[in-house]
Amino acid sequence: MKDGLHQDRAGSTFKALRSLLPVLVILALIALVPLFSPSNRFLSLAISAGINVIALYGLSVLFGQTGILSMGHAALVGVGAYAAAILARDFGVGFWAALPAAALASAAFAMIVGIPSLRVGGHHFVIMTFAFGQLLAIVLTNGGDYTGAATGLDLAGPVTLFGADMSDLTRYYLMVVAFVTAAAVASWAIINSSYGRTLRAIRENEKLAASLGINVGRHKIGAFVVSGVFAGISGVLLAYFLGHISPSQFSSFPSIYLALMVMIGGARLIEGPLAGGILVAFLPEVLNLDPVQSRIVYGVCLIAVIMLLPDGLIGGIVRALRAVLSGKPKQETEQRNAAEARR
Amino acid sequence: MSPILAISGLSKQFGGVTALAGVDLTIEEGEILGVVGPNGSGKTTLFNVVTGVHRPSGGTVLFRGHDITGLKPHAISRAGIGYTFQQAMAFAGLGVLENVRIAGEHVGTGGTANPWPTPQALLDFVGLSAVTNEKAGVLPFGSLRLLGLALALATRPSLLLLDEPAAGLNDRETTALVGLVRQLPGHGISVCVIDHDMKLMQMLCRRLAVLDFGSKIADGPTETVLADPKVLEVYLGGDL
Repeated sequence: MKDGLHQDRAGSTFKALRSLLPVLVILALIALVPLFSPSNRFLSLAISAGINVIALYGLSVLFGQTGILSMGHAALVGVGAYAAAILARDFGVGFWAALPAAALASAAFAMIVGIPSLRVGGHHFVIMTFAFGQLLAIVLTNGGDYTGAATGLDLAGPVTLFGADMSDLTRYYLMVVAFVTAAAVASWAIINSSYGRTLRAIRENEKLAASLGINVGRHKIGAFVVSGVFAGISGVLLAYFLGHISPSQFSSFPSIYLALMVMIGGARLIEGPLAGGILVAFLPEVLNLDPVQSRIVYGVCLIAVIMLLPDGLIGGIVRALRAVLSGKPKQETEQRNAAEARR
Repeated sequence: MSPILAISGLSKQFGGVTALAGVDLTIEEGEILGVVGPNGSGKTTLFNVVTGVHRPSGGTVLFRGHDITGLKPHAISRAGIGYTFQQAMAFAGLGVLENVRIAGEHVGTGGTANPWPTPQALLDFVGLSAVTNEKAGVLPFGSLRLLGLALALATRPSLLLLDEPAAGLNDRETTALVGLVRQLPGHGISVCVIDHDMKLMQMLCRRLAVLDFGSKIADGPTETVLADPKVLEVYLGGDL
């Protein structure tokens, strides 16, 4: 009996590690890209995508695991970015010290927003986060010299690592890849922990979760705070990369984009945020679309994903592969189950 | 012996409607008590008030001598009272084993010694060890009910409240469930079953309490209660 349990534990740890492997391999390949001397434009685009992916890993904990959709995630990124800029200007705080401080600031903001907002359920929460995102943009725009009003703030501090200047594009790219890896591992660790199971229980059925001793309200706020930590770190990287931040970058529209990215990629899978972030960043480039066209394409993508691929693009591909490999379509059973679940 | 649960003067009003009108009820240590009554008699309201889904309008609930009146649902569970719902039985999108694991990870200070040390042992007990690796959502209805029972037991309760545990089960499944529930007092778990299925209640309970219009109208050994003309009148419409 005891041996069986041991084997079971070891087996599930192995299975969990195996789920992380594809992401690590892909990130290792991505880290090799500078060897092929890519253009500066490519590197810049990739850095922006990577910074988004870090925030998306936080959003996947909130939406994918806990089942709470936020339309204000960019606002949490903005809190981190502004915290970094203000700390550098007023207190001479550098990049590395700004990381934990900004993560804390975003987490605190998430808690302040989350405590009243998460008392209301589902769709109401989506609207609340949307409103808080807009509210933050308005506050930043009217913050006078302190927040730089509509023009925003400049951030000119250098980023150094062990004495090396990281401001160079290739080096910043590699650093962002390292941060993305850390975010992916952190998100994977959450998914495979008892905490991750608790969040999934809440996603599946709040009433049943509460009956099993789970403090649903506290854990929902907790998941929102965790997503804020990822967003805060993403914000610092963004502020130091761009050297200039302004309120419009963190209003509701960027938030909707983040939600769209995580849905397109697949919020429940560890590959999802990475795939969604890269796809949405590079799609207009590859297809040579102007901003209006790309918005139309994203909209169509989102509708297609929601209607046809509920676990996102990667989930859809995995399902299709499995169906091809096993030689029989699994969709039928899954549809029957879904119908039963609704019943 | 002092009762494991002592409900006194418990009342609940929804607006102008009185769902519970001052109910007194005790559950003794080690017994299986049945609470019966026609639809709308206040059975489910009683269940919801005791488990913290609704706040009572008045009265107290003492669990092993401690006042638990008005505690939130998760706190009730952590205090050592397990309960199952008619509707929400298991986390459909998660694996059977993961379901039981989750249920065992939030045991509070009220949790008792565990007769089933591992999720696997618990699944063996309810007879679901063959479907350990399935997704809960694919299980047939009867197995879902058993999984729901396993989840409640995983919280290590000393008192288990079951709300219509046999609803939707066929005769064979009902017999299996009755067999399981009967074993619980032997594992140190007192049980209260809320249902209107008289056949089930006769199989399970030595003592019955009968509710009607939010008040208790009878309480005693099952045979005595079932022979009570008052009970026959309100519960069975007078003709039996």
